[in-house]
Amino acid sequence: MKLKAWKYLVAVWMTGVIVFGFLISIPNIPILKESARNLFFHVPMWFTMAICFATGLVYSIRYLNDPSAELDRKAETATQIGLLFGICGLLTGSIWARFTWGTWWTFAEPRMNLSALGMMIYVAYFVLRTAFDDPEKRAKIAAVYNVFAATTIPFLLYIIPRQLPSLHPGAEGNPAFSDITAPEMRYVFYPAVIGFIALAIWLIDILNRYKKVRQQIEQQ
Amino acid sequence: MSMIFSLIQAQEDTAASVDTLTKAYSQKWDAASNLQHANPVLKAASSHDLIFIVLAVTLIIWFVLLFFIIRVDKKLGELENEMEQSKINSTS
Repeated sequence: MKLKAWKYLVAVWMTGVIVFGFLISIPNIPILKESARNLFFHVPMWFTMAICFATGLVYSIRYLNDPSAELDRKAETATQIGLLFGICGLLTGSIWARFTWGTWWTFAEPRMNLSALGMMIYVAYFVLRTAFDDPEKRAKIAAVYNVFAATTIPFLLYIIPRQLPSLHPGAEGNPAFSDITAPEMRYVFYPAVIGFIALAIWLIDILNRYKKVRQQIEQQ
Repeated sequence: MSMIFSLIQAQEDTAASVDTLTKAYSQKWDAASNLQHANPVLKAASSHDLIFIVLAVTLIIWFVLLFFIIRVDKKLGELENEMEQSKINSTS
């Protein structure tokens, strides 16, 4: 039993990202110090989450256009993996905040709170799914809800936080890469984003195939 | 703040606290302070403020998770093959 070649590539690629993420020399920035390397691991969580949620949105819209159990399954899976990465983003952000801003959580930081709100909106998607026994009804209402949930994400994560004063980089209309970000960090950051997105696609693939086999067994 | 940090604080505040950052905590930890004289492999591993140790820990976690993902993927592939096989058998 052999896996597809791209999966081995993802394994090697991510190993490279971790090794270079730890070992490239970065300039010493006050307060951040070596924790600036979190850029390679914390930020890609949110990029990956956004890609997963966008994928889920596309499948949900396609489901509403042309209902099928497969499209509902794919929408649910992409959203599940997206939420997984989003929760990782919140947890890693919290631990980073403790050692740079001095607190695990602050309600004065809009990006932190609005991203938590976004996660809660997506948790509600899965709660909603458990409320229906009829698969077709569940799929349709979940798809409609997912369109709403995905619509909130750009506002909660990208638009509102940039209008408000914030400690988080990328606030107040600044690009996320500000003057304090050393240009050489991009050589690891962009590969990290690609690697984590590829890893998410791998996980989505496994979960989708599992659900398909389970459905086939249930039908027998 | 959190409980963990208050505990660390309490330790620093006690009169009996030991400076573990510049001196070995006990005789048992002496090996850590002699790393400059250890063999070249250990010497290299403990250079650069121990960043290689963090890297090693992270890589171990990553490889274990990766091994697990690959194993689940392969098992799922076998299950899919079985399902295909039983489908062919039942139709023929």
